[in-house]
Amino acid sequence: MFKSKKLLVLLSMVLVFALFAVGCSQPADTTPDGDTEQPAGDVTVKDTLIVAQGGDPASLDPHATNDQPSARVMKHIYNTLVTQNQQMEVVPALAESWEVIDDLTYEFKLRQDVKFHNGEDFTANDVKFTLLRAKESNHIGHIVGAIDPEGIEIIDDYTIRISTEKPFAPLLAHLSHTASSILNEKAVTEGGEDYGQNPVGTGPFKFVNWVTGDSIELERYDGYHDGPAKMAKVTFRAIVENTTRTIELETGGIDIAYDIQPQDVSRVEGNSDLNLIRGESFTTGYIGFNAAKKPFDDVRVRQAINYAIDIDSIVEAVFQGVGTPAKGPLGPNVWASHQGLEPYGYNVEKAKELMAEAGLADGFKTTIWTNENQQRMDISEIIQNQLRAINIDVEVKVMEWGAYLDGTAAGEHDMFILGWVTVTGDPDYGLYALFHSAQHGAAGNRTFYTNTRVDELLDSARVETDPSMREKFYLEAQEIIRNDAPWIFNNNGENIDGLRKNVKGYMQHPAGHHYLYNVYFE
Amino acid sequence: MSNVKTVSQEAQAQVANNVPNKKRGPWREVWRRMKQNKAAMVGLVIIGILIFAALTANIIAPYGYDDQNLPGRFQTPNSKHLLGTDNFGRDIFSRIIYGSRISLMVGFIAVGIAALSGGTLGAIAGFYGGKLDNVIMRMIDILLAIPGILLAISIVAALGPGLRNVMIAVGIGAIPGYARIVRASVLSLRDQEFIEAAKAVGANDFRIITKHIIPNSMAPIIVQATLGVANAILAAAGLSFIGLGIQPPTPEWGAMLSSGRNYIRDYPHIATFPGIAIMITIFGLNLLGDGLRDALDPRLKS
Repeated sequence: MFKSKKLLVLLSMVLVFALFAVGCSQPADTTPDGDTEQPAGDVTVKDTLIVAQGGDPASLDPHATNDQPSARVMKHIYNTLVTQNQQMEVVPALAESWEVIDDLTYEFKLRQDVKFHNGEDFTANDVKFTLLRAKESNHIGHIVGAIDPEGIEIIDDYTIRISTEKPFAPLLAHLSHTASSILNEKAVTEGGEDYGQNPVGTGPFKFVNWVTGDSIELERYDGYHDGPAKMAKVTFRAIVENTTRTIELETGGIDIAYDIQPQDVSRVEGNSDLNLIRGESFTTGYIGFNAAKKPFDDVRVRQAINYAIDIDSIVEAVFQGVGTPAKGPLGPNVWASHQGLEPYGYNVEKAKELMAEAGLADGFKTTIWTNENQQRMDISEIIQNQLRAINIDVEVKVMEWGAYLDGTAAGEHDMFILGWVTVTGDPDYGLYALFHSAQHGAAGNRTFYTNTRVDELLDSARVETDPSMREKFYLEAQEIIRNDAPWIFNNNGENIDGLRKNVKGYMQHPAGHHYLYNVYFE
Repeated sequence: MSNVKTVSQEAQAQVANNVPNKKRGPWREVWRRMKQNKAAMVGLVIIGILIFAALTANIIAPYGYDDQNLPGRFQTPNSKHLLGTDNFGRDIFSRIIYGSRISLMVGFIAVGIAALSGGTLGAIAGFYGGKLDNVIMRMIDILLAIPGILLAISIVAALGPGLRNVMIAVGIGAIPGYARIVRASVLSLRDQEFIEAAKAVGANDFRIITKHIIPNSMAPIIVQATLGVANAILAAAGLSFIGLGIQPPTPEWGAMLSSGRNYIRDYPHIATFPGIAIMITIFGLNLLGDGLRDALDPRLKS
């Protein structure tokens, strides 16, 4: 076919050069074009915001789950009666105003111009239906648990009274939780078993499509009562692998990446196409003991381990400068958090003394449980190493999330690592479920910690309406918890999100479910 | 005619001369052929070094495998830490040396489990034939229908993670291969004259299988086992990589690779060196296995 070898060589070289040129020209082509075209073609070119988070929602039925990935999506499909702004102040949402009738009762005036995505009018009936349904939920029933089911009274279509069985100071904060999102009775009945896959709300975005494990697509709801959102579409992608999420952001596959990992912070910061947003969060990471089980039922053992672990260097090594070592059970930005608690500090001698006092100078064998979270696995490996100094032989058990929650709820564990987000910003949410003896197990108190004085304080603070008295109760409770040491206070997290430079109007929410209503491209 | 005769007579004489010096004749022959195969010798040397490292890990490793040094983490290779340190400041070189223990143990024990149970099943099936053969081999077919690694994952998921369970899981996954090889060679041996002769002098089945059939079908089993060790190590590393295998702080190569991948863009050495260790080991075992197969193949006997 070819007359000579020379021709063949020439042809193949041309081919190679052609391929090379094509390969090189692509980035060169797009950058200048993209830069010049964008201001002009803004509206038509880019109207879909792609957001990536580390997990796929469990359900979009607010009563079927209480987890962060789901809440982040539901926040855009639904509204609550009241909501908490970025400063955590309670502001009107579906309720335009409210007044306190007595210690037990609130009266809410509802907005009259709200329609659900299915065209139904929003009325007091929906509120009553939603709250009664929420109370039945195994997942979030406790959030509205204080509400008296007999005490939900419809005055007229747009006025409703809600009363609690006992005075309940944080009621408004609980009503702004995504779990208290208002549902439409007709949509829920029609949806039946599959409602969680076909949610209908009043929020700024309508549900369009869900590819399980991959992405959820939302579309602007033009009839939104505060005016349509700026983006025509929002897609939530689940990108579990943390590094992959950052790479997708760098390459422009996504516009916003939630939860940038500590090791990627400087990389995102140093990239001129990206913005890194860091802000306070309500997360407290902790290492818990099963206080109902030997030898952790002995406070000296729990204290000894507190002394034997070098929390500062763990936080430094694992979180690489993100967040701060925790001083108490509540993060510094939660109201009434006690930041003056004396830290245990790293003191192996003291730990040995306490172990000897407890008759365990020779140590013991135990396990520490964690789920497949890189930072938690890292922490447990360091703890395993450091506890060897006081003769405690720790086995690390990495478990699947569901099995982990079930096992710790049933009290099968010894030590474990978890975190808690005080979503409402109120100390009741951050202390009651975790330390009250009535909340053992799945409700939140996975350490099975019991202290009658703490119970008393938490109960009193719940029904007390005077903020200064509440604060006093909470400070005392935190002091006792510090001394009883059911936890090793680990770290206070940060919300760290990465944005493409052209994403504007993004504001973090300290509870982690950021609101994208005002986000637009520039 | 006469020519041929002389050649064979010479050969006989040679064999006769050699016999007194070489008692283990057939294995000597294999070894001689192996030595000529350079690739196989490279494999043997690699495996030899590995076994040496595993046996003397606590002497030759400069640090313990769980000596954390949090301020000294993420060091790139230097004179104090030959392969650098990982995210806990542990010496990667030492961990790889200790890791060879785990890998070899998993490899050999898993293959042991598989060869023993698979071999027994295959020998029974092949020797007795008939219904028993059918039942055993159909069960083996069921095992074979599930990909080995998937089977191992399910078994570990059921038994729980850990060194022992990984060895069991990987071992069970490899049973079908041995059962089929052993059955095939038993079938080809069963009707040969020396077996008939053994039967004629009144040897029982157990004796015939263990004394006559197994020794004569060793060659393919050895080859399969050598290559099987490589597969077992790889499978165990894979299980550890997805978090189902050996638990921390045990320095398993797959687990090291897995925890290093979080830092691969900033500190690539953490994931690279365990990966290289796995690669070299598998390479060595495969070279050795190929060499053994060539050396043991009767068709190549000159």
